[in-house]
Amino acid sequence: MIAIAIVIGCALGAIIGINLPNISYTYSGYLAIAIVAALDSVFGGLTSVLKGNFNLKIFLSGFFGNAILSMLLTWLGVKLNVDIYLAAIVVFVGRMFTNLAIIRRYYIEKWSKKEVKEEIKNENEKETMGKD
Amino acid sequence: MKKGKITITITIGLVILILTAVIFLQFKTINQTDITALENMREDELRTEISNFKQKIAEISGQLDETNAKISEYQEAIASNEQASDLLVQELDQQNNIIGKNAVKGSGVVITLTDTRAQKITAEDLRELVNELKIDGAEAISINGQRIVYDSYIVDIGNTFIRINGVESIVSPYVVKAIGDPTYLESGLSKKQYGYIDSKLEEGKDVTLTRQDNIVIEKYNGDLNMEYAN
Repeated sequence: MIAIAIVIGCALGAIIGINLPNISYTYSGYLAIAIVAALDSVFGGLTSVLKGNFNLKIFLSGFFGNAILSMLLTWLGVKLNVDIYLAAIVVFVGRMFTNLAIIRRYYIEKWSKKEVKEEIKNENEKETMGKD
Repeated sequence: MKKGKITITITIGLVILILTAVIFLQFKTINQTDITALENMREDELRTEISNFKQKIAEISGQLDETNAKISEYQEAIASNEQASDLLVQELDQQNNIIGKNAVKGSGVVITLTDTRAQKITAEDLRELVNELKIDGAEAISINGQRIVYDSYIVDIGNTFIRINGVESIVSPYVVKAIGDPTYLESGLSKKQYGYIDSKLEEGKDVTLTRQDNIVIEKYNGDLNMEYAN
């Protein structure tokens, strides 16, 4: 169900995004930071779903809050002549890798458990055959 | 299906929609913006551009200096050429004065020879006078306006005319103008007894000599060509 929603969202989003008017190149830097923050939130959300502690409010607040905060930080960095957006990117991308690792481990463990179970099952079958 | 789950599904779908919309918008913006345009460059790119331009400016101003130096050299050369041509013109002028192609002016003497009833002035008298004047340092001589040049000759035509330079036939009175040091000229001509004037007077010819300060001697009007000598 959620997977269908994601696919539909992606398709509609792509169409809308292509049809939106261009934004000024100056502001595209802010938008890029917001995108990275939002992606981080999405992967965080996926991880929490797998862990079973998904909370919609936390997800939404993280999604929009992080995006807005990172844009504000970038703006501040421009004003202070410090590349603060680098810090934001490091944090968000680092977290993305962490979350991806968690997701990866989850599925690999799930898959190996299945294999182990099947092996046990096979061995059990052999044992029963051997007894005959 | 639970109501909560539908909300979650719709919310997540919306969130993904917004995210992909923004991502594609960004893709489109980056694709369609001309990164090489000056307004869209990053600060460090602008810095390198500026330093490139500065280098170029330095190179070009170096070239400009070189070119300017060359130009001033050429101008100097032109100026010296002008000086040289001025010198040439001066020299030409002097040479023309010497050979008689220019009218000249200066102090000297004017000798007037007039026929008397007893004696006519002959070409020989004039030749002698010209010779005498040259000995005394005359720089330019003319007889009745005819400039004496390097190939001048003075001959009698019958008993009436004297011909000078092949074209001019002149009659008395003969006015001989000579530019030179008046003192030398005068003293050379008026030596006692053996001097030109005394000897001519003795022969019964009328010779008068006056010193003048501003004698003008006209230029030679004929051609000064050499056919065989070169």
